[in-house]
Amino acid sequence: MTAEYVLEMRDITKRYGETTVLSNVSLSVRPGEIHALLGENGAGKSTLMNVLFGMPVIHATGGYEGSVSIEGNPAHILSPHAAMDMGIGMVHQEFMLLPGFNITENIKLNREITKPTLLSRALRNKNLENLDMATMHRDARKALDSVGMGIDEYTLVAGLPVGYMQFIEIAREIDKKGIKLLVFDEPTAVLTESEADKLISVMKKIAASGIAIIFITHRLDEVMAASDSITILRDGKLAATRRAKETTLVELAELMIGRKGEAVVDVPKKRGQAAKASALTIKNLVVDMPGEEVKGVNLDVYEGEILGIGGLAGQGKIGIPNGVMGLYPAEGAIELFGKPLPLNSARTALESGMAMVSEDRRGVGLLLDQSIEDNIAFSAMQVHGRFLHRVLGLTSKNGPAVRKHAQQLIKDLDIRCTSSKQAVGTLSGGNQQKVCVARALTMNPKFLFVSEPTRGIDIGAKRLVLETLVRLNRERGMTIVMVSSELLELRSICDRIAIVSEGQVVDILPPDSPDADFGLAMSGLKPTEGGMPEHA
Amino acid sequence: MRSTRSQRIATIVLLVAAVALIGGGVLGVMNRFSDSGEQMLRDLRLTALLITTGKGSVEAMIEAEKDAARARVKAEGGKLDAIKAAVAEAETNARAAAENMVTEVDLSTVDTSELVPAVEAMLVAQRALDVQTTKDEAAYIEKMQEIQPTPAPEEDVDASLTEDAGLGEAELELEEAPKVDMSGFVATAEMAALQASVDEAFLNLSAALKGVYPVLDDASLHTLTPTIKNLLYQRGDNFESQYDRLAGFGQSGLGTWVTRFGDDMVTVGVALILVALLVFFGRPLLKSLGLPRLIITVFFMLMCVLAVVYDLSLTVLLSNAVVRMAMNSILVLAMLPGIQCGISLNLGLPLGIIGGLLGGLMCIEFGFQGLWGFLFAIATGCSIAAVIGFGYGHLLNRLKGNEMQVTTYVGFSVVSLMSIAWMLLPFNSPKLRWPLGPGLRVTLRLEGAYKHILNDFLEFRIGGFTVPTGLLLFMALCCVLMWLFSRSKTGVAMQAVGNNPRFAEATGVSVNRMRVIGTVLSTVLGAVGIIVYSQSYGFMQLYSAPRQMGFIAASAILIGGASTSRAKISHVIIGSFLFQGVLTLGMPVANVLVPQSTISETMRILISNGIILYALTKAGGGSRA
Repeated sequence: MTAEYVLEMRDITKRYGETTVLSNVSLSVRPGEIHALLGENGAGKSTLMNVLFGMPVIHATGGYEGSVSIEGNPAHILSPHAAMDMGIGMVHQEFMLLPGFNITENIKLNREITKPTLLSRALRNKNLENLDMATMHRDARKALDSVGMGIDEYTLVAGLPVGYMQFIEIAREIDKKGIKLLVFDEPTAVLTESEADKLISVMKKIAASGIAIIFITHRLDEVMAASDSITILRDGKLAATRRAKETTLVELAELMIGRKGEAVVDVPKKRGQAAKASALTIKNLVVDMPGEEVKGVNLDVYEGEILGIGGLAGQGKIGIPNGVMGLYPAEGAIELFGKPLPLNSARTALESGMAMVSEDRRGVGLLLDQSIEDNIAFSAMQVHGRFLHRVLGLTSKNGPAVRKHAQQLIKDLDIRCTSSKQAVGTLSGGNQQKVCVARALTMNPKFLFVSEPTRGIDIGAKRLVLETLVRLNRERGMTIVMVSSELLELRSICDRIAIVSEGQVVDILPPDSPDADFGLAMSGLKPTEGGMPEHA
Repeated sequence: MRSTRSQRIATIVLLVAAVALIGGGVLGVMNRFSDSGEQMLRDLRLTALLITTGKGSVEAMIEAEKDAARARVKAEGGKLDAIKAAVAEAETNARAAAENMVTEVDLSTVDTSELVPAVEAMLVAQRALDVQTTKDEAAYIEKMQEIQPTPAPEEDVDASLTEDAGLGEAELELEEAPKVDMSGFVATAEMAALQASVDEAFLNLSAALKGVYPVLDDASLHTLTPTIKNLLYQRGDNFESQYDRLAGFGQSGLGTWVTRFGDDMVTVGVALILVALLVFFGRPLLKSLGLPRLIITVFFMLMCVLAVVYDLSLTVLLSNAVVRMAMNSILVLAMLPGIQCGISLNLGLPLGIIGGLLGGLMCIEFGFQGLWGFLFAIATGCSIAAVIGFGYGHLLNRLKGNEMQVTTYVGFSVVSLMSIAWMLLPFNSPKLRWPLGPGLRVTLRLEGAYKHILNDFLEFRIGGFTVPTGLLLFMALCCVLMWLFSRSKTGVAMQAVGNNPRFAEATGVSVNRMRVIGTVLSTVLGAVGIIVYSQSYGFMQLYSAPRQMGFIAASAILIGGASTSRAKISHVIIGSFLFQGVLTLGMPVANVLVPQSTISETMRILISNGIILYALTKAGGGSRA
């Protein structure tokens, strides 16, 4: 008897402490279908897969609620190994291959086929058996053929193109006996377009052989091209389940973005549109920031506006401020208030009146071992020579001035601390973020980059940070560029929002554009050009 | 931070025990100065005296018996064998007869009316003689030293120091005892007069003893004279030494025991209170000090307690510890800029040390002396070290991420390289070169250059505690300068580089430049450090001596509470004191625990290397990054 579904996950709820990351999510996959799992970053896709694979991180934090059944039989998967035994395989985003081994060895790693030898018979020890290379090569050949790879199975993995590695990973999973379900975790992220097309055809071939596939991605067009049915997650909840034939790109985009409740902050809209004088002009910016490469961005930031930069993680939105501020090697040209500015010099960028609140608070933004006041005063002291006086002919930190300034900002930004001497490393995330903002403000910048200002901080601190940005913009006329993965925040305070995908600006949208426009832009489709005739 | 139930119970038990010990101990110590203490000693003294002389008189009696037996057999015309047998028999009989007589002396059965005043008079006379002798001898030594300053044979010093050179550590006796030939010393007139009164008192005592033991004759009394004198009085006598000397003869009860060990009981009691406090505040202490520092602190206190229990002079030991802390502190301070600028522990400190040694060598070569010599050595040493440090800093910038290994091997290789250089460098002063053959000596004496130039500046004593004012002031000066630097714009930037290089870079601070500045500073401080160290030590050591100094300084600052990425000046001072304190106190205590062995040498290597190893295993702790 064959069950209707090869995998059925029902009402899965997962909490990490107080935070609910998945609530009542269900997912059903039929044998031989390609099932797309769609959602923004942080929508709960990875957590759901972690539950499926019984990852230790799930069981170490109190397990999950709900039920999982494989082919109709209830299953409680406690370890990745158990998942493997049940016929569930995973094609990882980062390749797990040994470069120094050949393709066959990689495919058969830890599942080697052996034949008995004299010694192993004599000692009755399976570990002493010989490898049966002939059979292994034969198996590998078969697996490679089934993914449509003509490459020789004796080839070393080292030096192969990225696309090939992906297929070897798939071949390895297929070679496992009794595989029923394969999970592809963003498999096209590292592939070229033609490779991606090939992958999709291979996926279809595999599905046709009766193996079900879960296809995790955020590229809507691929979803439409490849999948039979689609489950969309949003904010840890099930947004919808659709048959691919019965839906459209626009609907998917809308479902993925959705309205996530009320705006984070209420901001009075600006009185009329200001003159469009350009504050920062970015021309053909290329930034080599690992994981966030920028590949030729052209962008104009207008004086006195708050410009949002959105997009999915890893698409390059964070690379833009880091490139402009000289933190990562960059090429291209930028002009600040009409004056050309050299790239790759953090010092010049700061001296010219720009400042940045980094997304990497603990890595780049703070001196964790030092006090709040020293953190706040540091940049202004180094770049503008403030907070210094002379002692015995030497420049020396003006302690009282630093403290007075820090205490003022602690009051203004409501930084919760025991004193301004407290080490920053002991503060909570939200208060650390406020210290970062305070440090940037101490520079008196005309132009402020804020990168992921609300990452990892609680709702109260979020609101305060956003309100502070708006106040700076309105009261001091500061031009602000805010980079954020939280579209809702961008939409609540920004005047315009640029969406970045694959290292380039796809489109610049007004904050009140429909959800579908944002959804499409995030998957790299320009709404005005793509399948959006009704909004164009 | 609540204490658990078991913690509280343990604390209370310990406190009760401590109070009991201290109470008993205080009573005991007070007893020493009261009449009963006096009486106790007096009784002990009499008992010991009577037993000693009693044994003497028995021997005398046996001799008399033997003589009688020999004479008798001779008179009877016996042969040699017969005489022998008779004498032996007589001895056995006499011993058996005397057996019960003297092993126990019951004071109540002996008439001591004459003996007591005689003993007292004897004591008084002996004491007076001793006081006079000490005074006259001191005067003689002073006189002799003026005529001719201590000439310690050079070869001896060299030989003894070369052994140490492997560890690069100075021996503990910082103050060499003045060696004056006492053979020319003649008793003064006052001494002679007092000697006469001692003799007279002894005559009285002898008479009184004869009253107790009639068999005692003059001959056997004469044999017993030194024994009796030593028994009654010895130079530097106090309650404890007298008790230890006399107690072997009589039986001692609990009361006398408490009196004897009262002070030790108090010490142990105080130690128990400390332990109780440790148990009670264990967790907060552990949190604020960290395990390594807590262990070392406890170990240091244990050493203090043991030093007191074993009657070592704690003040002198602590005074030594302070001197050693100060002389090592600049070397430890050299670790600070290294850690702050992000090159972690500068185990390549020998680079700076060699700069300082070159400065010192030039000072001697050109014949500079005193303060100017010291300043010249520092100026030259610093300039050389700054140049070396600049190159070293650039080297480290090219090898980011492996600083610990690189600095270690740079340190090792430069020491070896310089071992060749010391043989070849064109220094000509006979003070520097071997008398025969090429090359510089292993150990150079700094007399006439800048020995103790800081130690002796405004030095004063409080009891046994010598305060090396100049040395401490110099240490404070260096620390203040370092503190001022750490507040300057450059200093603040440098610390940011060490704390978080990416942060510094994002603010436009040149990470490489700051690292070079920190490395140069560290190297220069190494040069100053070795000059300060050698002026206090009195010698400069070349060749392999600098090899370990980097490790010692590194472990000292780690013990002080620093991590490999975070350090403060307080860590330097606390660390040098704890490290050197444990070392200074540990060795004499080890020597007492296992006397007459080379344990002190073994202990020294064990302690210093053990501390380094332990500190390095804890090197990562303490940082929030």
